[in-house]
Amino acid sequence: MATIVEFKDYSMGFKDDDGVVFNLLDQVSFKVEEGRALGIVGESGCGKSMTSLSMMRLLPPSAVVQGGEILFQGRNLLQMSDAEMEKVRGKDISMIFQEPMTALNPVLTIGFQIGEALKIHEPSITKEEQQKRVVEVLAEVGISNPETRLNQYPHEFSGGMRQRVMIAMAVINHPILLIADEPTTALDVTIQAQILDIMKKLKGTGGLVVVTHNLGIVADICEEVVVMYAGRAVERGTLKAIFDHPLHPYTQGLMASIPTTKSEKKPLHTIPGTVPTVFDFKEGCRFADRCERCTEECRKKRPPLKKVGDDHLVQCFLPFEGEEIVHE
Amino acid sequence: MKQRKSFGYYFLRNKNGMIGLIGVALIVILGVIAPFLVAYPEGYTADILLAPSLSHPLGTDKLGLDILAEVIWGARTSLYVSLTAVVISALIGIPAGLISGFVKGWLGEIIDACIDIFLTLPMLPLMIIMAAIMGTSINNVALVIGLFSWPQLARVTKNATLKISEMQYIEAATCLGLSKPRILFKHVLLNATGPVFVNLTLIMASAVLSEASLSFLGLGDPTTWSWGTILKRAWTSNAVISSPNPWWWWLIPSLCIVIFVVCFNMLGTAINDILNPKGRD
Repeated sequence: MATIVEFKDYSMGFKDDDGVVFNLLDQVSFKVEEGRALGIVGESGCGKSMTSLSMMRLLPPSAVVQGGEILFQGRNLLQMSDAEMEKVRGKDISMIFQEPMTALNPVLTIGFQIGEALKIHEPSITKEEQQKRVVEVLAEVGISNPETRLNQYPHEFSGGMRQRVMIAMAVINHPILLIADEPTTALDVTIQAQILDIMKKLKGTGGLVVVTHNLGIVADICEEVVVMYAGRAVERGTLKAIFDHPLHPYTQGLMASIPTTKSEKKPLHTIPGTVPTVFDFKEGCRFADRCERCTEECRKKRPPLKKVGDDHLVQCFLPFEGEEIVHE
Repeated sequence: MKQRKSFGYYFLRNKNGMIGLIGVALIVILGVIAPFLVAYPEGYTADILLAPSLSHPLGTDKLGLDILAEVIWGARTSLYVSLTAVVISALIGIPAGLISGFVKGWLGEIIDACIDIFLTLPMLPLMIIMAAIMGTSINNVALVIGLFSWPQLARVTKNATLKISEMQYIEAATCLGLSKPRILFKHVLLNATGPVFVNLTLIMASAVLSEASLSFLGLGDPTTWSWGTILKRAWTSNAVISSPNPWWWWLIPSLCIVIFVVCFNMLGTAINDILNPKGRD
């Protein structure tokens, strides 16, 4: 099984007006294997989107890469030239956006927009071939009457249909890595399920990264999970390991916050407080202020990364059974 | 399944657009076939200041020249000057606005500063100086007007670009691997057509007015007829205030300017409405 993308101790941060860099992503490491899906979960502001934008090299201008590597099929994305990156974007790595309502150009027909994505990476393609491929991909994502729909504008599509168009646009070049940034947040529940089915089908052809705060989606389509909190990958492992034995207090809090169908008449668990902003991170564990099991040590030192079991890593001072420290 | 209608279908049903088109078409035809319609008005005749009649439908001026002939030949000049001026200001203004709105850094800053400087300069005195230095010919008048009307177009384009480049579909286009120039000149520009189009027609209209004022001030081309030149001649012969008043002499060219401006505005607005997929229904 080939590795498609691998983050190796990747760190990035933001410059403020005085040029001082504040670290956000702190030595994030994980990898995506061929044919498998990785879910990146966490609250808003945890650096999930920055992780996915890092893979596209589309970070905002104030962002600074501080170290580490992002290997895409063995090549370091961070060292590629802009011209090389333009070839990778949309062809080898593509992205599905959160807001299907705003992520399509309102004045171009969807046929043109999907066709453009194809044409830009295969300039020699003929008009007929291009048309054929666009119709095929639209049918693939479940749009009926693709030939007529081609000539319509985004405002003539419903939200769910637009998300399908977005997916069609992202997969027309058969990307090796597909990144879905909150792919279903803007959709209603019935459409969500259909979109997830489409994404599950697409997984077979390459790697998939799903960025979401919805643990249900992760459980549905992912094999591996990275839990992010304030720029650190606090826990990562296989879906089973994380869902059956969450170790980090943050992961446990997230799991406990999911409403269940069992009618216990007690208020839903919440994690008190909010994620600190990048300028307010303190020494030590970034979750310390909200953690129920916080100790003196947590506030002073960065927690060590521990390996617990085969495919399960956690970054916490708490003692776990069979733990083995990977690095301090 | 609803079939998409063509551009023409929507255009034919747009009242303002049709009125504008007919008006503009009339003026264009008038300008193009002028030499076949009437002789070039020059010299002088004995029919001084005749009121409109059958032989002179729009009357004559103080030199006994037919106003209708002057207006028809004047349409040619006004059309030529305004079209040239619009093309020049579009060629400078649109790229300048797009780049200064999209590219952050020194290039954007410099273009921005240029726009600001040009906008603060008083336009008419500068036009007069330029026209005086470059000499009075139609081409120079068109060039001067074009060179001084691009900043407002650039400013409007820039504002639209600033808004559009923040939209997610531009980010999505980057994610598809599209190059920056392509995103800028295809995806951003197409979305900015609304304000840009309207501004182009405004420039066209104000070019006719500027040409008229330059001619009126004696800085137009004295050897060709334009609506401005007719007005200037009327003004210098005190036609506007003299009594009995030869109203046809100054009113007709003024009306021509108004009609031209209004028709172009209507046409521009209609095209903009139809090009916008949401504006059709």
